[in-house]
Amino acid sequence: MTNTITAITTGGRDDSWSRLLELVGRERDEVAFAKLFAHFAPLIKGFCLGNINANFPPDAADEIVQEVMFKVWQKSPSYDATKAAASTWIYTVMRNCRIDLMRRNQRSTSDSGVLEIDDIWDESAEDQAYVYLMQANNEAMIQQSFAQLPHEQRQVLTQVYMQDKTHQQIALEMGLPLGTVKSRVRIGLKKMQILVVNAVGNRDEKM
Amino acid sequence: MIHYHPDDNLLAEYSGGSLALALSLSVCAHIQLCVDCRQKVASLNKIGGALLNLSAAEPSTPGNFEQLMQRIHQQPEVPAPRLAIAEHNVDPMLTHLPKVITKLLPAGRKLKWQRVSSVLKTARLSTGQKDYEVAFQCISKGGKVVEHDHGGLEVTLVLKGSFSDAQGIYTEGDFLVRDAGEIHRPTATLNQDCLCLSVVAAPVRVTGFLGKLINPFLSFKPA
Repeated sequence: MTNTITAITTGGRDDSWSRLLELVGRERDEVAFAKLFAHFAPLIKGFCLGNINANFPPDAADEIVQEVMFKVWQKSPSYDATKAAASTWIYTVMRNCRIDLMRRNQRSTSDSGVLEIDDIWDESAEDQAYVYLMQANNEAMIQQSFAQLPHEQRQVLTQVYMQDKTHQQIALEMGLPLGTVKSRVRIGLKKMQILVVNAVGNRDEKM
Repeated sequence: MIHYHPDDNLLAEYSGGSLALALSLSVCAHIQLCVDCRQKVASLNKIGGALLNLSAAEPSTPGNFEQLMQRIHQQPEVPAPRLAIAEHNVDPMLTHLPKVITKLLPAGRKLKWQRVSSVLKTARLSTGQKDYEVAFQCISKGGKVVEHDHGGLEVTLVLKGSFSDAQGIYTEGDFLVRDAGEIHRPTATLNQDCLCLSVVAAPVRVTGFLGKLINPFLSFKPA
């Protein structure tokens, strides 16, 4: 059982990025940060260019890359490789930056809220400890199974994650009933075994 | 034990970042109370990580990294501490709330409660958006709220105590979604006042006497 758990927590994940990110957080290691930048900046830019719309002009991509990597530097002390792979953690930083940017573009200056985006999409580690060890999936498996999904499921999930679209927007744009979009998302999640929740209480016995 | 959760579609929209801010706030408060949904969201986030890995790499503009390092070196290393949560909120009803809800409490002053009826009071919360009204609803113990309907989608998250309606009993952490037109009549349980977070979509504004008659529960005013 111990082997299985090791495999679950570290197996398949390319941990060199996660280790580099930990170094950046712990030691403020600029060489490690340069390596992360060289790898992730082009991916962030590519990801953002997949989402060009009125609120997100193409020339914003470089700006986003900088903003995301700036936040990665700032927040890295709270990164914990046992809880998320570097790519997932950086995704959440990027998602929050995009929400923040779009909100700033949309709202009037008088309309300032007390909440920050990071309060609502809160990935801070301190109150989320102990939950992550027993997850039955990892990024490599998800990446693999995502590539194998039927086109229609891959398509809606891509829109949910890369183009910040609500199910309702996707339904309107694709001319599909809302229920169809919802079920495509759910079937896709099921096939990737995303929502397999393990009983947290089982952990202690197995370790 | 939490029995009512946001559905998987809502969690996916939250994880993807497209869910409206006010709804995301209610999902966030729920996952700060619910271990299972927290784990689901952590899992859903991995789709984002996988899609980032699968993205077509676009070379960054030369000089981008140097510019960033310059910015980092100019920035003080420790970010300014956030304002402490208002010490003035000694109301026991407002202690031990999810972190994100605590951030909504006005700093340094008391919440402005408005009495809607003898058993129901409400306090609007400022969230910097206009699509949904976000408010605390507090039903006195044993109180029955008049039967009402909402103009649009309504999310209710139980924060303290419990209430029931024709469909069930809802306790701390329960997350309920009702569509426009579903009429209900919540009743708080006898032993304790019930505090809920409510997020209601902006309805088409009906003015005048008739409007008040149609929707006596809430007069919508986004904050």
